Amino acid sequence: MLLEVRDLRVEFTTREGVAKAVNGVSYEVAEGETLAVLGESGSGKSVTAQAIMGILDVPPGRITGGEILFQGRDLLRLKEEERRGIRGAEMAMIFQDALSSLNPVLTVGDQLGEMFVVHRGMSKKDARARAVELMDRVRIPAAAQRVRDYPHQFSGGMRQRIMIAMALALRPALIIADEPTTALDVTVQAQVMDLLAELQREYRMGLILITHDLGVVADVADRIAVMYAGRIVETAPVHDLYKAPAHPYTRGLLDSIPRLDHKGRELYAIKGLPPSLTAVPPGCPFHPRCPMAQDVCRTDVPPLYAVEPGGAAGLATGEGRGSACHFWRDCLEGTGSR
Amino acid sequence: MPEPRPNTDPGELDGGRSDDGAGPEDGAVAGTGFGGSMDLAADEGRTLERDPEHDGAEPAGRPRSLWSDAWRDLRRNPVFVVSALLILFLVLISVWPTLLTSGDPLDCDLAKAQQGSQPGHPFGFNAQGCDVYTRTVYGARTSVTVGVCATLGVALLGSVLGGLAGFFSGIWDALLSRLTDVFFAIPVVLGGLVLLSVVTSNTVWPVIGFMVLLGWPQISRIARGSVITARQHDYVQAARALGASSPRMLLRHIAPNAVAPVIVVATIALGTYIALEATLSFLGVGLRPPTVSWGIDISSASPYIRNAPHMLLWPAGALAITVLAFIMLGDAVRDALDPKLR
Repeated sequence: MLLEVRDLRVEFTTREGVAKAVNGVSYEVAEGETLAVLGESGSGKSVTAQAIMGILDVPPGRITGGEILFQGRDLLRLKEEERRGIRGAEMAMIFQDALSSLNPVLTVGDQLGEMFVVHRGMSKKDARARAVELMDRVRIPAAAQRVRDYPHQFSGGMRQRIMIAMALALRPALIIADEPTTALDVTVQAQVMDLLAELQREYRMGLILITHDLGVVADVADRIAVMYAGRIVETAPVHDLYKAPAHPYTRGLLDSIPRLDHKGRELYAIKGLPPSLTAVPPGCPFHPRCPMAQDVCRTDVPPLYAVEPGGAAGLATGEGRGSACHFWRDCLEGTGSR
Repeated sequence: MPEPRPNTDPGELDGGRSDDGAGPEDGAVAGTGFGGSMDLAADEGRTLERDPEHDGAEPAGRPRSLWSDAWRDLRRNPVFVVSALLILFLVLISVWPTLLTSGDPLDCDLAKAQQGSQPGHPFGFNAQGCDVYTRTVYGARTSVTVGVCATLGVALLGSVLGGLAGFFSGIWDALLSRLTDVFFAIPVVLGGLVLLSVVTSNTVWPVIGFMVLLGWPQISRIARGSVITARQHDYVQAARALGASSPRMLLRHIAPNAVAPVIVVATIALGTYIALEATLSFLGVGLRPPTVSWGIDISSASPYIRNAPHMLLWPAGALAITVLAFIMLGDAVRDALDPKLR
């Protein structure tokens, strides 16, 4: 397995108290696999990614438990120096807003070349030649001329391509893309996602796609992990999840996608707001907003149940599905009331 | 040197762009591929025209970097042009005062004390019978030296300490911030009277040292805030996520994006340091004769302001114009570097 996150816990110390941003998250990514991590703002999906990359701000953040196994090594036990060597070379990250993720005072060629200078010790001239190759690879027209342009001289889609080129420069084994298309036009979104998926296939990289856009997920992901209040509430192969969600939160998300055949009807919305991370409700964190909530949900935290078919064995190998709902069977059958 | 500072930064960027070298050749290859001798000529022209006019030759409305934008704004700003020329002039006469006068500022003739303007001595003589014109010219050297050295010292010390505190935060930041508070609490003139009155050296260095000692907290605060702002930018996180080390992040990604406010404040402060030197010299704790300084001359002329005002007015006027020039320059640089004012 390329990456295994086991029972990861991250806390932030804030004025209001300790916020448990990530509360026992486990997931796995195999070589060449795309895992989509889905969730609202504040569900802990980005913090998990930052913990994996090792770019969490400490303080106020703190990793309080769990392990992150990357190619068999526990990243949390490595020295900062060793982790820095891994960042960029073996795992890389693509950020949401490419304009603010590129340094405005350096040319894109300098920034792309920096990858080779930092990790490979190349000369500036060689690094520049590689930068041009990379820009060609992500299909930026006239790369040889544009290599000396500044980030603000590119369009949004082109900038995101440059970010992708930077992330892929050293052919890392794992890419984490944190909402890579959120800041782009819908048409450009598709192009950028296609490019990313194509390069991923070609280089056989593992990809963690962090998003809140269910439309993007359906096209490219192999598996989905849905996060809520710092936990994974459901994990499943992408088509199973779309066909029949096994958690009421996932079902709420799917129901709130605008659909053409529902034109004129009121759009469904999950009532209420995500809980504050400093005061997560006891029991199932979703129960105050859940249409299926029973007494047991208010007291008992649901573990990640193995969902049939596949069961516990399937969940352990990463093939099956899991749901952190006491009533996943009802949810799967669609008998839960709204 | 205070004046070329805002110029060199965009210059460096442009220079970096041009000595990469590949650009013109690429253009020529692409152009000739298109066919025709006209293309070749056009490309020749473009190759020859490359920088600094390169910016102007590009398609209109194509935005450049912060520094080249600022430089373009500055060149069109009359306030900048006037103050920059004035400062250039001051720097010239402080390096080569003999360009303007052949006299010796210490060559005095008591018989001519307090006399007014005469042929060959346009500003008249002071209480000691020294030529006021020569002394005013030579005074520029002291003022510019003190201003430039104090500003460089303050900017270096302040931005290094403030930058490190802002970048690493935590306990060092807290300690440094309290230390700056302590220094802020020392009144400048009172501090000068106490500290400099025990100094016996006759050079400008104790005065410069004193200004650096009391001046660095101002720059340090600005550099700290500016680094904290820059540190939170996504591209710094991105650089970190791609494996950049702390020194690399600080020097390559944060510093160039955090230095603008420091330059602005330092340029304006330069004027105030010149005025402060004059103030301290006036009070008798700054520079001492035989050093030639506008502050000393103002001080020694002040008892005679009613019967020989020329002795006071010329050095005081020179001081006022110098301080004004540096503050105007600082203002112009601030306007050019603040994107919100565009």
